[in-house]
Amino acid sequence: MDIANLAVKRASDLGATEAEAFVQRSRKTKIGFAEEAHDVNSVTSMGLGLRVALGKRTAMYSTSILTGEEVGVAAERALGIARVAPEDPHWKHVNRLYGSSPVEGHFDERIEAIEYEEIMGKLGSAIAIMKERDRRVKPTRGMLTLVSSKVSVANSHGESIEGRWTAAEAWTTVKAEDAGLESTGSEHREVRSWKELDLDQMAADAVDKAVGFLEAKPIQGGVMPVILRNQVAATMLRIMMSSPINADNVQKGGSPFADKLGEQIAAEDICIMDDGTMTGGFGTNPFDEEGHPTQRTPVVEGGVLNNFLYDSYTALKDDVDSTGNAMRAGYSSPPTPAPTNLILKGGTASPEEIIRDTKQGLYVEGVIGEWLSNPVSGNLNMTVTHGYLVEGGELAKPVNGVVLAGNFHEALREGFEIIGDDTLNSGGSYAPTVKIRRLTVAGK
Amino acid sequence: MNAYEDQMEKLIDKAEALGASYAGVLYQRRDSEAIEVDNKALKSYSSRSFSGLGVRVVHGGALGYASTSDMSWEGMERCLEQSVKAAGSTASTEGGILRPIAVNTVDAGLPVKVSPFDVPPEEKVSLALDANEAAWNSDQIRSARTRLGSIVDERVFLSSDGASVRVVTPLLGFGHSSVAEAAGVKEVIGDSRSMCAGYEFIEGRDWNTFASEVSDLAVEAVASKTAPPGTYPVVVDQDVVGLVLHEALGHATEGDIVATGGSVLGGKLGTRIASDPVTIIDEGVVEGGYYYPYDDEGAEKGRTVLVEKGILKGYLTDRRSAGKLDMEPTGNGRSQDFENFPIVRQTNYYMQPGDHSLEELVEGVDHGILVQGRGMKGGQVETGMGTFTFGVGPSRMIRNGEARELVRGVVISGSVLDVLKTVDAVGDDFKMRASVFGVCGKNGQQVKVGTGGPSMRALRMTVGGQ
Repeated sequence: MDIANLAVKRASDLGATEAEAFVQRSRKTKIGFAEEAHDVNSVTSMGLGLRVALGKRTAMYSTSILTGEEVGVAAERALGIARVAPEDPHWKHVNRLYGSSPVEGHFDERIEAIEYEEIMGKLGSAIAIMKERDRRVKPTRGMLTLVSSKVSVANSHGESIEGRWTAAEAWTTVKAEDAGLESTGSEHREVRSWKELDLDQMAADAVDKAVGFLEAKPIQGGVMPVILRNQVAATMLRIMMSSPINADNVQKGGSPFADKLGEQIAAEDICIMDDGTMTGGFGTNPFDEEGHPTQRTPVVEGGVLNNFLYDSYTALKDDVDSTGNAMRAGYSSPPTPAPTNLILKGGTASPEEIIRDTKQGLYVEGVIGEWLSNPVSGNLNMTVTHGYLVEGGELAKPVNGVVLAGNFHEALREGFEIIGDDTLNSGGSYAPTVKIRRLTVAGK
Repeated sequence: MNAYEDQMEKLIDKAEALGASYAGVLYQRRDSEAIEVDNKALKSYSSRSFSGLGVRVVHGGALGYASTSDMSWEGMERCLEQSVKAAGSTASTEGGILRPIAVNTVDAGLPVKVSPFDVPPEEKVSLALDANEAAWNSDQIRSARTRLGSIVDERVFLSSDGASVRVVTPLLGFGHSSVAEAAGVKEVIGDSRSMCAGYEFIEGRDWNTFASEVSDLAVEAVASKTAPPGTYPVVVDQDVVGLVLHEALGHATEGDIVATGGSVLGGKLGTRIASDPVTIIDEGVVEGGYYYPYDDEGAEKGRTVLVEKGILKGYLTDRRSAGKLDMEPTGNGRSQDFENFPIVRQTNYYMQPGDHSLEELVEGVDHGILVQGRGMKGGQVETGMGTFTFGVGPSRMIRNGEARELVRGVVISGSVLDVLKTVDAVGDDFKMRASVFGVCGKNGQQVKVGTGGPSMRALRMTVGGQ
């Protein structure tokens, strides 16, 4: 806290109308692995992002050198830039409402204090599964990352707040080879506590995926129902919804939903919310990255678009309250609105029931190139690396190399035929398995 | 030399006392600034200082790495302890295969006359605003973006072997892009110049003319036709030669990729991979390139011959991959910053010039294309196969040995090994470039590189239109 307050004071002393300091100290343990754990890297980092205003001119400077002297230099440099910055007619003031929402599961003391022996025990067990579960499979690349972080935010209005959070993430890729056939399987998990990180399950899923796809082939193209597994649906949700509901994009005219507030944009059974307070959510925190309390914001209720996501700058511009969605891409970046936990509300069907209910279609477990989708036009574009043809309510042959195309906005309006009960996250996006009535599958 | 050097030495002593058989400590401080002017107004001005320490140890035969931006003595000690713990956590014995290198003690800072951070912000902003204004020289210009970037990167490396290497690399650059529109067609042209030098590099040039000429090219390009797709003999200019070599061949010569079987060049040492006029070098200090005299393991980055007269002669290595491949380290162990351990990276990767003038290269082509890099759009490569696709800049058709009309939307593609085998002549117009705006990414680490070469002529290249 000392550094954040010191930076604010230095900037004020030098004539800043307002100042806001964000200080982050974190420890990250990164372990690269394949057939054994190698490349162990422990990173201790800290930094200050200082935002200053001179009237309606604002500027930002960041430094990782947190000494009194360097903080003074940071204040001078920030003000030097503010003096040449153009006036922003929309600038009112930095966030003044500080506070914590009562949340749980965002901090795990065990991650902060963990020893390598325990990490290697859990990782070793997962590597053993990847090497032994099936003789045709071996692990090729993977990474385990544990982060514990301490954040302080302070401003020149006398507000300050601090908090701690943790995260545990892992991904792995395995390769299967048999009789001249090759396939891969990838899995990833993102959670907040050591206990929740189930590496054994991740390893087993990756192996089974690879083995199941040794004989995968493209299929004949066509229009058909497509079932997206939970993490694939969550990825689609993030790519297609995050930027359109960001108030900054709405205000700049870059959102397809800009003039749709209060309108039906989806079928009645579709509910999407942003919830920074969800217990143990990957994006859960008591306050956002400008100190504002987090909250639960219904974005789409009964298919009606009811809210956008705001940080304080965009909220002041629209004369509404911030929704506690100020995020920074690290301490060196200014805050902008972004989802905390973006959630597509689950239904009642199990994935097995969804498959059973499908006469003919495609079940999709893994995609690449999903970032080629366009959130403005709603056009989806994902290459299926791991899918199954569904025939007569059962998973038939494995499929790869086909491209999914369609329009997300249309799919929202038509409604998902079935929404599953198996919500899982991909980063801060949460979705169950969903069945989209029809997408174009571009095949061989 | 550096304020932290005494403490770094103490840290190495402590590492040895803790049982490390090797310790390498890298201190880094990087100050950077980026100014962007969009359509006659300052859009952003970001500025950053980034500093800390990375500690690499070999302990119990295993490698460990830890880093910290806490430069208090306690912070450094904790970092060392983390590094030793990291090494102790694995059964890996890769620490044992690090190849030894010559012990260097050197201070290799590049002298600058004017530090970019001593120049008042308003002066830099007004330079960018003026150049942006100058780019609006036609009613066909729809938008114009001007950038000014400065980085000063100081690295001090000390090791338990006695190495003491300090390198300071300043890199400054100016970039501009203009969008022109005519008859419903839009064309964006971007170009930049960077140099490892002080602000005197910026002061000594006419950037208004530079920006205005970028607009001229955009206006000319938007009125031009697209190239008819096909396979052509081509003359490729220095910028394109440099980028294609770096992406499609350079990565395939990186020793760690070779050691894990991911390179198309694995097992090909001593064999012909290109035609006789082709000689390819990676070198740490080249005029116009990125100044990199010593790597982040303290090894001198001299001159490495990769291809000599068409024959593959070597790979790029750091100490670890040299151990795996049973070769000598070539000084290519580079880390993005102190938070990352070194991996094999290129430095200044280029083709050696020949003795033909550009006119002679073009004269030898009946019907083909002069492929030009200015305004390049970027591309994609697959290291395992050496295949590439690049959207290059506006280029010229060659007819009867003469460069003629401009064509836009040119996309070149192919396999780098196929292309290099058809190179029949190399130019004398050598040029090397680094960029303050661009980076090369690998395994999540980004570094600056230099790319370049002379113009070259190849008998066959696939050219697609857009």
